[in-house]
Amino acid sequence: MTTSERPLRPVRAEAGEAVEVSFTVNGTPATLELPARVTLSDALRDHLGLTGTHVGCEHGVCGMCTVLVDGQAARACLLFAVQLDGADIVTVEGLGKPDALHPLQESFGRNHALQCGFCTPGFLMSSYDLLTDKPGVAAEELPEELSGVICRCTGYRNIVTAVRETQERFPDGIPAPGNCGARALAGRATGRVGGGQDSDEPPDDAPKSVEIVLPGGEPTIAVRITTEIAVAGDQVWDVFDDIGLLARCLPGAELTGELGGDQYAGRARVSVGPVKLAFKGVAQVLEHDRAARRLRVLAQGQDSGGAQTQADIELRTEPSGEGTVLHADAKVYLTGRIAQFGRALAGDISRRMFEQFAAAVAEAATSGEAPSGPVRAPSALRLMLGSLLDRLRRPRRKGSGAAR
Amino acid sequence: MKAAPFAYARPARLAEALAELARSDGGGKVISGGQSLVPVLAMRLARPDVLVDINGIAELGRIERSGGFAEIGATVRQRAVERDPVSREVPLLGMALPWVGHRELRSRGTVCGSLAHADPAAELPAVACCLDASLTVTGQDGARQVAARDFFAGAMMTALGPGDVLTSVRFPLAGPGDGYGFAEIARRHGDFALAGVAVHVNAEGREPSAVLTGFGISDRPVTRSVGAELAEALDSGDLEAALRSRLADVVEDMVDTEGDVHASRDYRRRLFGVLASRELAKAYTRTRGRDADDHE
Repeated sequence: MTTSERPLRPVRAEAGEAVEVSFTVNGTPATLELPARVTLSDALRDHLGLTGTHVGCEHGVCGMCTVLVDGQAARACLLFAVQLDGADIVTVEGLGKPDALHPLQESFGRNHALQCGFCTPGFLMSSYDLLTDKPGVAAEELPEELSGVICRCTGYRNIVTAVRETQERFPDGIPAPGNCGARALAGRATGRVGGGQDSDEPPDDAPKSVEIVLPGGEPTIAVRITTEIAVAGDQVWDVFDDIGLLARCLPGAELTGELGGDQYAGRARVSVGPVKLAFKGVAQVLEHDRAARRLRVLAQGQDSGGAQTQADIELRTEPSGEGTVLHADAKVYLTGRIAQFGRALAGDISRRMFEQFAAAVAEAATSGEAPSGPVRAPSALRLMLGSLLDRLRRPRRKGSGAAR
Repeated sequence: MKAAPFAYARPARLAEALAELARSDGGGKVISGGQSLVPVLAMRLARPDVLVDINGIAELGRIERSGGFAEIGATVRQRAVERDPVSREVPLLGMALPWVGHRELRSRGTVCGSLAHADPAAELPAVACCLDASLTVTGQDGARQVAARDFFAGAMMTALGPGDVLTSVRFPLAGPGDGYGFAEIARRHGDFALAGVAVHVNAEGREPSAVLTGFGISDRPVTRSVGAELAEALDSGDLEAALRSRLADVVEDMVDTEGDVHASRDYRRRLFGVLASRELAKAYTRTRGRDADDHE
């Protein structure tokens, strides 16, 4: 109840000097090194890629940045991140999953309690706090109790209705946040200091060896493809044994350095239509067993906008007549702006990339070289068309199945 | 809207915090909840050299009771006080806290921080003055007690020196015959008040005693003893109306703020007169157990 329950580590830092702070965000531990003047809202957005927390006035008036700190709603722009050592933070990203929204989120949708959506994360976190703190709050008190967040589309009536409806559905208290658990956060990098004109921290560019912690919980995308290629297993494994060549088979990927301990630094470019992402990251070979025909790699990458991707990739081969069947199993975790692609499109793109990878492996196994040069971004047009075709074909198949 | 760089110290002991402030030679600022300070930093209205975060000092995070008093430490959050039995034992605190900012601010904001910030329209300084609370101010030379009514020296100015920390505040617990009232008018919930009142009536003795504190009406909370006015009004059938006329001079004297775009001085006087007589009448009926609504 009081701060005395959590003794805070003593700290002394000069102006601009980074201070280490560790807290939990949506169930995932994060450690950051930040100058003391960086607010929690900037830390979440710029350093952890959690852009669901919006920033409006930056001086505690508008409520856009409302998050839960140790279970209570607080304005993230009025907290310096370094003050939150040991705190448990929940942001709107932790409230629900895209396909399993929190009842409050569902109710906001059902009641048209959002128009432009800018205030929605603030209202969700504030009303979550209200309904857990006072499950029996009177209907006539709701407008005042929700007055800590401002909506400029004047949607208050619908917002109040949405909260009221959720309260009536759960008279004994609303369900806990539904999307908290270990997952990928961009928090391992000390990162840039967001937005400040006095920002004096140099960008941290040098690839570093890191411990890649595989996130728990459901991946954003699960890709499972099986492709038959007309090359013998041993030739395929010749490609897999040459990690540089293998990397070049991944569309848009490039190996930039060896970090030792089976870790490699690399970068990858993905461009889809106008969307261009450049990831820098690290890959860790967990298992490389030519005899068992199994290769398992963990990868972690981050783009300059705070998007974070983490993947657990397993490749297996088995003989099939003259050729080889290549199984690729990948669990991909996305956070930050890249997650806004939506699962379906991101899944289609990932699947398409793996198919290109399989084709490139086949070519490399035959010719000893990956198809076209070291850095080859996947053709945007081809990816888009491929994804679109996939999406068009799938329902049609489903439809014809149902007709039968 | 980003604070200018500052050095950051979060000591584990009060002595180190005091030493840090002394070293800063006036360039230091204490932060606990920061709910008033951070906006000031964000707008760069203040650019302290060093921010001394007292949240690591365990002894400041407690609520303690002894000898009819509740003592609230410097890092105790407003919301923690709201949820603690102390908000019933010191009913005026329980009545005033829901008016302090919004829930989201009270999650982090502290009682002592609100006192140290000393906004003239803030609720808690008025509560402290009305209840004659005692503030513990600790400096390099040790701790001293300052009465709330002597603590506030003007808008955002207090008896705190540059090297001092407000370490706790001590409120008297309610006793027999005590009744309280609290009200404010703000343009929106959570805004600072155009005018507000905190009242404390005790009807134990032969003559009732009554203390009226106004906020938002001057550059600091203004407190008057109005027991005589209450006693005179008791015989009339309509206590509130009788208080309105008997308090007119006191109200005129108490409200000395200049008008602003939201309300003129005369409007505030009228507002304050209505609130004061209404809450005094309520507080008096509460002392007699004749009022059904409780203090929570």
